[in-house]
Amino acid sequence: MGPLPTLAELRWNKAGALSIAAQIALALAILCNAMFVIHAQIALMTRPTGIDESDIFYIRSSLIGDQGTWASQEQADVAALRATAGVVDAYVTNSVPLTGAGGSVPISLRPDQVRPNTMAAIYLAGGDALRTLDLHLVAGRDFRPDEIGDFYPSAPGSGRAPGAVIITQALARMLYPDGSALGRSIFIGVPGSSRIVGIVRRLQVPWTSASGWGSNFSEDSVLTPARLIDKNVLYVVRARPGQVPAAEKSAAAALRANDRMRVLDGPYAMKPTRAYAYRDDLGFSIFLAAVTWLLLGVTAAGIVGLTSYWVSRRRRQIGIRRALGATRGAIVGYFLGENLLIASAGIVAGTALTIGLNLWIASAFGMPHIPVGYVLAGIVTLLLLGQLGALWPAWRAASIPPAIAARSA
Amino acid sequence: MLEMKNLSKVYRTEIIETYALRELSMHVREGEFVAVTGRSGSGKTTFLTIAGLLEEATSGEYRLDGVDVRGLSDTRRSRLRNEKIGFIFQAFNLIPELNVAANVELPLRYRRMQRSERQRLASEALERVGLSARARHYPSELSGGQQQRVAIARALAGSPRLLLADEPTGNLDTQMARGVMTLIEELHQEGATIVMVTHDPAIAARAQREIHVLDGQIVDIIEQPRLVGVASGGHATNAS
Amino acid sequence: MMLGYYFALALASLRRNVALTALMIAAIAVGIGASMIVLVVYRAEAGDPIPDKAHQLYAVQLDNWGPVRHMVSSSQRGDGLEDQLSYADAVALMRAHAAKRQAAMYATSMTVLPENAQLSPFTVSARATYADFFAMFEVPFVYGSPWRAAQDEAHAKVVVISNKLNQSLFDGANSVGRYIRFAHGVYQVVGVIADWRPVPRFYDLTVGAYGDTEQVYLPFTTAVDGNLAQNENTDCNQNAPGGSRDLQSDCVWIQFWAELPTLQDAQAYRAFLRGYARQQQQNGRFHWAARTSVRDVPQWLQYEGVVSGQVELMVLVAFGFFLVCLVNAAGLMLAKVMEQSTRVATRRAIGADRWAILAQYLTEAALVGAAGGIAGLLVTQLGLSGAGMLFSNDVFRIVRLDGSSISIEMSLAIAATLLAALYPTWRATCVNPASQLKTR
Repeated sequence: MGPLPTLAELRWNKAGALSIAAQIALALAILCNAMFVIHAQIALMTRPTGIDESDIFYIRSSLIGDQGTWASQEQADVAALRATAGVVDAYVTNSVPLTGAGGSVPISLRPDQVRPNTMAAIYLAGGDALRTLDLHLVAGRDFRPDEIGDFYPSAPGSGRAPGAVIITQALARMLYPDGSALGRSIFIGVPGSSRIVGIVRRLQVPWTSASGWGSNFSEDSVLTPARLIDKNVLYVVRARPGQVPAAEKSAAAALRANDRMRVLDGPYAMKPTRAYAYRDDLGFSIFLAAVTWLLLGVTAAGIVGLTSYWVSRRRRQIGIRRALGATRGAIVGYFLGENLLIASAGIVAGTALTIGLNLWIASAFGMPHIPVGYVLAGIVTLLLLGQLGALWPAWRAASIPPAIAARSA
Repeated sequence: MLEMKNLSKVYRTEIIETYALRELSMHVREGEFVAVTGRSGSGKTTFLTIAGLLEEATSGEYRLDGVDVRGLSDTRRSRLRNEKIGFIFQAFNLIPELNVAANVELPLRYRRMQRSERQRLASEALERVGLSARARHYPSELSGGQQQRVAIARALAGSPRLLLADEPTGNLDTQMARGVMTLIEELHQEGATIVMVTHDPAIAARAQREIHVLDGQIVDIIEQPRLVGVASGGHATNAS
Repeated sequence: MMLGYYFALALASLRRNVALTALMIAAIAVGIGASMIVLVVYRAEAGDPIPDKAHQLYAVQLDNWGPVRHMVSSSQRGDGLEDQLSYADAVALMRAHAAKRQAAMYATSMTVLPENAQLSPFTVSARATYADFFAMFEVPFVYGSPWRAAQDEAHAKVVVISNKLNQSLFDGANSVGRYIRFAHGVYQVVGVIADWRPVPRFYDLTVGAYGDTEQVYLPFTTAVDGNLAQNENTDCNQNAPGGSRDLQSDCVWIQFWAELPTLQDAQAYRAFLRGYARQQQQNGRFHWAARTSVRDVPQWLQYEGVVSGQVELMVLVAFGFFLVCLVNAAGLMLAKVMEQSTRVATRRAIGADRWAILAQYLTEAALVGAAGGIAGLLVTQLGLSGAGMLFSNDVFRIVRLDGSSISIEMSLAIAATLLAALYPTWRATCVNPASQLKTR
């Protein structure tokens, strides 16, 4: 009798072995796919926006007075914000990344194109946008003062293309893969053409969903030299490093001091905005992680339970083996070997199941295929889990006294 | 009461056939106390499993209390066991999570008997073995001898036609064994039909008849005059 | 009578091996608990918001953009139709009055100027719509009633407000006939609606499927007069430049619902819409044969993809986990049955037939399933309140463990455990009754 079990010896408890193998197979499939999905979620949640998130906050303002007062009110507001202690710069716009609300435009290379090349987020950047957001120009320049104009979205016929735009590097590469985007003209879905005068390294669109609107053009943004003049606007403020909380308070107070009869929403710092934007994804990841941990726990408990039972059923047999000269190590080895045998069977089935599940997830949810590394990591995890689960019962088996063999039943 | 004709039991594995019983025939009359003896592996346990309807013979005829049991369904056999046979096991086999009274009621439960009737019969049976006071105790709280008495009460509770005892004293020390044997003998004197399997000649000697089995066949039947307890060597061939 | 006995036996047997029993119950509890968390959410997402009228209310779509549309709209689905209408079409369909009831509508917001000058103005969500909205969607009223159709025509400055707003402005008193000062003007209250929350909020999915209903409802005509902007999705393209405030544009920003009580009505309305589209082509507004569509509530929810992929994936993972838990419990039950084979053999010898053993162990399994189910309810409840904090998705805040979910959870737990117990129980019935004589 060798120290390791054989398949023939497992036959006497086929069902128990099968139950453990099935658990390991299912656990492997779920573990690998859950890990893969979680990592994809983390990658999604940690995507950079391209702006200086740690020092930026924004306030939504909704004016009550009529249209004639908006422009002067905004000018006064921006001036007040800039004058606030701890503030580096501020501008007025329609949207910032991570807020989930903004505008998008079709981008075409020719005016008569039926199908645009892509969609892009549109950020109104008539003010000091580049400096406030801390965007890095990789080519070209910022808007010149003479390019900047007022933009009244509420006025009929307000849709004329701006003469100059700044676009993101991702959009530039997409439109002109040869790198010749700077200086070219594009069409953004309204009459007139726009010349690309600058390219920024990165600026994410306002939408953060993994598969919803914006997901297929998440790095494609266009900045226009338009100063938004509207009832509802967004003030974006950059504070000195580390002074966001204090600056938030004084900025809100400054706006309220300018006009008490208005509705302010905010201030919101970018950090909590990011957390809020990805809350569902975080919750989803936490759920998957929690279920995966529970799954490992349940599987381990099952292995401990069944192996203990097997040990108790074979006490006499173990005693006899010990009496015949088997060492404790040999007994431990026997049960670990048995577990390894069962787990391996489970892992063979589980690998097939993993791939099947991944194929299904890939087609149903538009996810990529699982890399081999995840499957290997899952296999190692479950083999270790099996061995750990079997170790304690095996150890107890090894401490069964050989004398038990001598006793009659 | 118990009539076997040419019973054989064959265990087959992939490699060999083993005859546990060969053409065994025997007859136990109502009110008899018969001991079946033999060495380990002689086939006496197989005899008991077949007599107790726990297994079916491979061939031959077996009538229990006039009923031909060949080819009966599991449910019919279960019912026959329940109504006609009381088992006394070597290892007592009380159900540990049930108390003494519930253990004794067990066969009556499977007979779907009314609660009051069940309780009356169980308490009578317990009284008979002298353990009425222990009805609410659990098996683990009793001595081995007491446990075996409970098992006997359980066997008696359903008023079976036949008591089958499998080494009833095998797990008991001498003193307890003596008590249990006295109880069995009393039951016999009250009219019970008892078949007891044992390898202990001293225990076997207390039966009316001792049937000695070897290699699945009856080799010897010893009638015990029971007056002086000396075995008179009346040899006989297989009884019919 | 026997059942009661099996029940007592099962309890005794479960008490005997507490660790194994606890392990089984825990496995089933976490399995069913986790599954129910997502199932409750899934049921809410996939629920029917208005059961008695699900097949009488229809969302109307019209292809006013023609062939130029690719990738242009956030609301576009696979079939290339916009899920909202332009102002011109919405108003034309309202005028045609071809359905029993119909309402064009859009989400906006209004700023309340409190009477008390010490209080700051505040913004409330609002819906601009027509009088039929309330009867069509069976909106319950506490005070007053909807405004009259004539008030739609008259561009009346009237509002229906939510119970919540009525609480904060009028302390919950009957405010019908009283006035509210908004930044856009003074409006008279004609009705106060009771708490009303269809889940999903099918009538306008562009503002999220699980949000609160609006605080203020006002006539569409009045809102357009007041230049109240559409809040969420306004979609324009090259053919449709401008904005929601440009009423001549072909930008789409209005939801349109029609109540069509019978299938014949729906057929007739489809024919009417096709006629309208043809007419637009004939008078030169469309240079294409515009497709049209009406979808009832279930079709609309399906079309809009209300059930999120994440929730579907969570359902999958949770039930996979439940399966592991069941296999686990089955293995433990098997161990338990094997451990009890002596007792099974004794019972068999005493006269229990196979059915009796089967019934006994299935009763035990049902008991484990029920205990697992009850513990699972706790897991679900904890999980749901945890998820409410974890997810911004409003659905987690509105789902409750209601009676039907509880009964689903319990029956699922018991049924699944019985299923898992089938094999171990079958093994128990196979225990050789003679084994007690032979083990020596």
